[in-house]
Amino acid sequence: MRVSVLTVVAALIMAVTPPAGAAEKVWSGLVMAENSDNPHSIPTELGSLEKTLKELFGYNQFEVIGESNKTLKSGDEDWLASSKYFSLHVDARGMSANGYELNLKLFQDKQLLLETETKLSKRSPLVIKGPQVGSGQLLLVLVVQ
Amino acid sequence: MFMKTFEEKWTAWLDGQLTGKELVEFEDSLPDRAAAEAEKRDAKKLGSLLKQELGVSTFTNAEFFSHQLNERIAADEAAEDRHVTRSTWWSLPRLAWAGAASLAMFVLFTVALMRDKNPADQSQYLSQILNARVDPALGPNATITMFESKEARVTVLWTEGLQSLPSDFAAK
Repeated sequence: MRVSVLTVVAALIMAVTPPAGAAEKVWSGLVMAENSDNPHSIPTELGSLEKTLKELFGYNQFEVIGESNKTLKSGDEDWLASSKYFSLHVDARGMSANGYELNLKLFQDKQLLLETETKLSKRSPLVIKGPQVGSGQLLLVLVVQ
Repeated sequence: MFMKTFEEKWTAWLDGQLTGKELVEFEDSLPDRAAAEAEKRDAKKLGSLLKQELGVSTFTNAEFFSHQLNERIAADEAAEDRHVTRSTWWSLPRLAWAGAASLAMFVLFTVALMRDKNPADQSQYLSQILNARVDPALGPNATITMFESKEARVTVLWTEGLQSLPSDFAAK
């Protein structure tokens, strides 16, 4: 009787507690936002952000020029999302129940343009407005998938 | 008065309760008097034997009342014993464990529900920008603004004044 009650309670605790080491993917993208007469459909990774991106930046086309899809297990990984001229270096510095602490560095070739410390929430994407490129805008987008 | 049937008169005759004219008339009406007398004797013998062997005793009113009372008490006690036997599975330790398990389940489900439905602490679900800096050599007048679009749950780091680059830099 005692064993069965303890078993039930333990099962319930495990059911309501998120697994601490559950692997999650973080999508990091270098995105070129532009206005086009015939805009391409938005990439799948940005589908849920389409309306917000269009309203915030005023462009109708978003194209991924570099990306990385990193599976995080320990929360201490680092990775790179690169295009021909830009690279986004992401250094994860720990995880909490709500997300990951990340150090982000945007490089143009080997030159550091921008650095930021963020807490990336599992439920909230992060968008960074980068430099103007031609008639468009470079955006950095991070999403926990 | 009403007429007695033959059976009633026969029973009364066997018990020796017919008297006078009624007795004479009944005995005259018997088709076989000798056989009837023999049957009467047998009935008396049987009655005596039953009284002897079974020891039937006649209760007085007080004894009968007491007997009924004892019967009722015995029946009630038997019913109570059966009830006690059915209830024994819920012993005190089992009740305590069941109570503890129910309480634990309640607490766990409450915590789980509150964790998912706490609108007052929504900001912890939004991404946060702790600090940011732009290389001053590339954007001496650059400014940085941070804001959250709570409707879309998006956190934005907005930079202005970064050096513009030619369209070639948009290459994949």
